[in-house]
Amino acid sequence: MTADLYATATGLIERSAAAFVSGVPEDPADDGLFGPASVAWRVSADLASPVAGLRSLLMQALHPLAMAGVDQHSGWRRDPVGRLAATSAYLATVTFGERAVAEQAAARVRRIHEHVRGIDAVTGRRYAAGDPALLLWVHAALVQSSLAAGRAFGTPLSAEDSDRYVAEMMVAAELVGVPRSLVPASVAELERYVASVRPGLSCTPAARQSMAYLLDPPGLDEEIADFWQDVRDAAIAVLPEWAQQMYGYSTPPPLTPGRRAEIRQSLGVLDAMSLGQPGVLEARQRIMLRMRAGRPV
Amino acid sequence: MKSRRLLATTMTGGAAAALTLVLLRRRLGPLRLDRGRAALRLFVRGGVRYAASAPRLFVAAGERRQLLREDLALQTAEDVAGTLGAMKGVMMKIGQMASYVDGGLSPAVRRTLARLQDSVPPMSPALAAAVVEEELGVPPERAFARWDPRPIAAASIGQVHRAVTLDGRAVAVKVQYPGIAETIAADLRNVALIRRMLRIAAPAQDVDALLSELRDRIGEELDYRREAASQHLMAAYYDGHPTIHVPRIIPELSTRRLITSELSGGARFAELATWPQHERDLAAETIYRFVFRALYEVGAFNGDPHPGNYLFHRGGKVTFLDFGLVRHFTSAELQPLLQMARTICVEHDPEAFRASLENAGFLRPGAPLSTQEIVEHLAVFYDTIREPGPVTITSDYASSVVRRFFDLRSPVAQYIAVPRSYVILQRINLGLFAVLGELSATADWRAIAEEIWPFVHGPAATPMGQAEAAWRARRHAIAA
Repeated sequence: MTADLYATATGLIERSAAAFVSGVPEDPADDGLFGPASVAWRVSADLASPVAGLRSLLMQALHPLAMAGVDQHSGWRRDPVGRLAATSAYLATVTFGERAVAEQAAARVRRIHEHVRGIDAVTGRRYAAGDPALLLWVHAALVQSSLAAGRAFGTPLSAEDSDRYVAEMMVAAELVGVPRSLVPASVAELERYVASVRPGLSCTPAARQSMAYLLDPPGLDEEIADFWQDVRDAAIAVLPEWAQQMYGYSTPPPLTPGRRAEIRQSLGVLDAMSLGQPGVLEARQRIMLRMRAGRPV
Repeated sequence: MKSRRLLATTMTGGAAAALTLVLLRRRLGPLRLDRGRAALRLFVRGGVRYAASAPRLFVAAGERRQLLREDLALQTAEDVAGTLGAMKGVMMKIGQMASYVDGGLSPAVRRTLARLQDSVPPMSPALAAAVVEEELGVPPERAFARWDPRPIAAASIGQVHRAVTLDGRAVAVKVQYPGIAETIAADLRNVALIRRMLRIAAPAQDVDALLSELRDRIGEELDYRREAASQHLMAAYYDGHPTIHVPRIIPELSTRRLITSELSGGARFAELATWPQHERDLAAETIYRFVFRALYEVGAFNGDPHPGNYLFHRGGKVTFLDFGLVRHFTSAELQPLLQMARTICVEHDPEAFRASLENAGFLRPGAPLSTQEIVEHLAVFYDTIREPGPVTITSDYASSVVRRFFDLRSPVAQYIAVPRSYVILQRINLGLFAVLGELSATADWRAIAEEIWPFVHGPAATPMGQAEAAWRARRHAIAA
């Protein structure tokens, strides 16, 4: 069914990789919004980031108005891979790009958001992509998902670094137009915020379709689909239980140490795939060198 | 269909495995192979793509590695796990295997594997020193009179440092990445994923056979003591040989994660290629003698006849490095090989040749084929030694040997299998031809073979043969 509604997932890795490379400057004038010593840089480089990305999409889609905006405007059905790649490019630019370049990218996003308005068919409510409430949800879902995925499958952060990460990421929300006072500044605030939004969340048909597409993208070769299946299982496994239930996913089997290792191994294979794309190794090395240079000896 | 393939291609851009799936499978798809043919293809160990193109994580990647910036060095065991864990080390190994099992990977896959390999930086001086200290109980500065903290080359899951022993010998010290054994052992336990990748990387092969081959190879490479023992055996056998040199192991400085051996100089293969043909012929003769003397007299074969594992000196002297892939043969295992050579090359008795193939398990008994068909199919492997006289081994010949292995349309192919114990031997055989072909080496290979064949014990065929005979006489005198 979804295959008819959406274009195939052709080029997912290739285009995501190109997007990442495009966001990592070669000879930057400044350290950007976060800098080599930030937790945000470490989190971006984590093996678990595909799981974080997929989980955050699953979370974001549960907000009916956010989902409606994506579904009705962004070319999502016509070119889902392109839409995801654009998001990846944006995130890489904001994370690693020079300050001015990150700000320009954010300004572009804000301009696009001005035209994304409409009425959600399910709730009948008006929405506008520039609405700080929607933007904040999208932000929070991403930040929370990075923490959750890293905890389960990547290099877990200490409590202190987790708080630092949430605080560092505030600037990303501000950049797209969320007043700083609204943005969670610690893990505890983040959790309170997510809990406060939860009553308004639901799984609309658009969310269900979009996520069904993402979880099992048509066009994947069967062997590759195996690896993707692990990413999908991982993303679902680290969703809050209430979110699993909204989607109607059966409760995933417990994450035994063996299962975690298997998922990490699949993530390693995917990581190698992206490493094989042009420029990815060099971009990673640029980041690594800057992180090392910035590290106190 | 088209999009399916495109996606596959892009998804796998990085993954050796998956791309191989797409490209090899499309290529081989129509030729679904039965087990016998698959085994034949497995026969092809170390085809012609031995050199720059073969991804070689676990073996000397030397030159390229040196280009890497030291500031990217692995500083902790966690860095090692991050770089080679999560299946990446295993993937590189699978890619390396697939490259010789399936007749070469596609350029895209090779590029990916090369990238993966490039992503492995050297250990930092401190990390390498920590391994030395764990293995020897004292830091390298105390274990050695001099220790060069900068690696000179990459090696089997480790890197090579120059040092001088306390008693003044210049040595090469191979240091294994810390934690790599545990990391890879953990990844090898994910049999389901590895099977998946093997099926993708070498779709025509028997997955179980490949899996056990992969485990064997990795297991051997993780324990350097095994390699040290093989090298010691070869060094002891070839001690005093006029042209063959195997660096001696320093046993007291060799452990599970450390191999210390004499440091050797010499020209690399690429440089040899610029030397006069006469020198190249001599080097080729030495390599040929090395391989077959080792096989028939030591019962040992180096399964890695890679040009990077040779250092060349004028006058045909060759230093042989890297014994991480040595397979030992019993004389019972060697007998059928000798019998095959004797029946086809010396006795020219096709029926006896056929019988010896059947006895050794290479040919299914009672195959509905004429003996002439069988001989025509397999004779190419004996082309250089069937008749006396000088023969030039060309790259074309080396390729034709490989092509014959892949000639699955031949009616003979389906009745041929390679018993597991001989699989690696063929890899050496083909790798050897590839090297000799690269050198366009000319010699009377038959006469040299006759010197070595125990059923002939022919007279010295060349000046090198005479020098070797003198060496052998000295050896026997000492032994007696």
